Amino acid sequence: MNSLIRLELTRALRNRKFLFFSVIYPSVLFLIIAGNADSTTKVPGTGLTLPTYMMVSMASFGALTAALMGNSERIAKEREGGWVRQLRLTTLPGRGYVLAKTASAAVVSLPSIVIVFVVAAAVKDVRLDAWQWLALTGAIWAGSLVFAALGVALGYLASGDAVRPITMITYFGLSMLGGLWMPTTTFPDWLQDIAKWLPTHAYAALGQAIEQSRAPHVQDLVVLVVSFALFAGGAAWLYRKDTLKA
Amino acid sequence: MTTTAPVVAFDQVSKAYAAVRAVDGLTLALRPGETVALLGPNGAGKSTTLDLLLGLKKPDSGTVRLFGTGPRDAIVAGRVGAMLQSGGLMDEVTVAELVRLACDLHPKPYRPSEVLSRAGIAQLAGRKVDKLSGGQAQRVRFALATAGDSDLIVLDEPTTGMDVTTRQAFWATMREQADRGRTVLFATHYLEEADAVADRVLVLHRGRLLADGTAAEIKAKAGARRVSFDLAGTVDEAALRGLPFLTSLAVSGRTVRIQSTDADATVHALYGLGLYPRNLEVAGLGLEQAFVAITTAEEAKAK
Repeated sequence: MNSLIRLELTRALRNRKFLFFSVIYPSVLFLIIAGNADSTTKVPGTGLTLPTYMMVSMASFGALTAALMGNSERIAKEREGGWVRQLRLTTLPGRGYVLAKTASAAVVSLPSIVIVFVVAAAVKDVRLDAWQWLALTGAIWAGSLVFAALGVALGYLASGDAVRPITMITYFGLSMLGGLWMPTTTFPDWLQDIAKWLPTHAYAALGQAIEQSRAPHVQDLVVLVVSFALFAGGAAWLYRKDTLKA
Repeated sequence: MTTTAPVVAFDQVSKAYAAVRAVDGLTLALRPGETVALLGPNGAGKSTTLDLLLGLKKPDSGTVRLFGTGPRDAIVAGRVGAMLQSGGLMDEVTVAELVRLACDLHPKPYRPSEVLSRAGIAQLAGRKVDKLSGGQAQRVRFALATAGDSDLIVLDEPTTGMDVTTRQAFWATMREQADRGRTVLFATHYLEEADAVADRVLVLHRGRLLADGTAAEIKAKAGARRVSFDLAGTVDEAALRGLPFLTSLAVSGRTVRIQSTDADATVHALYGLGLYPRNLEVAGLGLEQAFVAITTAEEAKAK
């Protein structure tokens, strides 16, 4: 299975477009959004400056991109093209394919998180304690598994032409409504009520709790855990259905 | 030898989709070292048979055993290499990278360079998989199927998309595989391939095994030799119909074409009628005609 992970990774690292959108683009977006903000204005109700707040949002956004975008479309295509069938004729265990995809996404999402941090610290003077940097990296990285599972589920749910629009809608919907592009506090109340139940909102809130040096809200943890269970369970169910059909 | 389990054993295997019986009570056994062609028109159940054989589909009833174990166990043990018509390739990687992956995944792998050159794609090693022609992609699939020392090679329509030259080169490569003592099973609808390459031909029709034997036996089973001749004067069709061992008769003008299960006896009786056939020709049926004869006979029975 390691050889498949290696090959998936080689392929991901060779794909410039994918690398740009998952690794470079979040940092660029961070600079555009936080670029003109001074380092004293706080995001209402958080006690965090805009650059500090947006750093976590953009790191989460980058990890989301790497985990979700790469896999869903490829899985759908490779299912349709028969590569998944061909792999079933090898010694690779059934789950190996999905695990290799998830592992390679995880390798790409790590630099996308770290680069946002480096840019935020260097350009916008974001300062945190050492434990906070480490905890942020760990939490955002681990949290991206939720969206990797979602990517796999979408890849097994949709086929061919449908997978791209479905992934795009999910991706932009989750990013925007979850408050990854702007603080949800700027949303009207009714939208805030929806946003706080989205896994992306809980995901970014986890990082912001670390920045505020406080324990995360229980609701956010529950939303993340339930989302993961839902997405991973859905992916497993769809995977089994697909295997029987093939 | 009776103690060794057959390479492939189907026992009363059936598989249906909705109301269509794709495979219907199939029983067969393949022995080590055989090169077997699975022959049948489109929709005969060839692909389903191979899917069942490889464990990609589960039979509704009956059992499929490979080397005495289930298909998945045989694959995990590295005893089976397979190339599917519907088998895709991973794109955005090079041919060499893909072949290396296949070698890495095989329990008894060959060296990737060896696999590439044996499949005749050494010169394509650096090419991206998505930039291959249909025939080249087929050879890459073949390389994946032969990445290791498997005992059984399964090929589904392996020469689809190849031109004549590539096709010949491909079969030469495949014969090498067979000469190494492997069992090779391939599905095809090119009858000349089955005729030229296979030691044994299985004819599948509507999910059932219609014939099982050497190409020569299949041809014989179809009834058959062709006898043709010209007659002077008027042709008495009724008299010709009375000829022994006759299976079909066609008269056009003064030319008579006959199919007979015993051409010698038929021709002898022809002289016995006092006729004097000219331009007499007796020839065997090609496998193609034999195949058509067997399947149409079956269609007629079904009606």
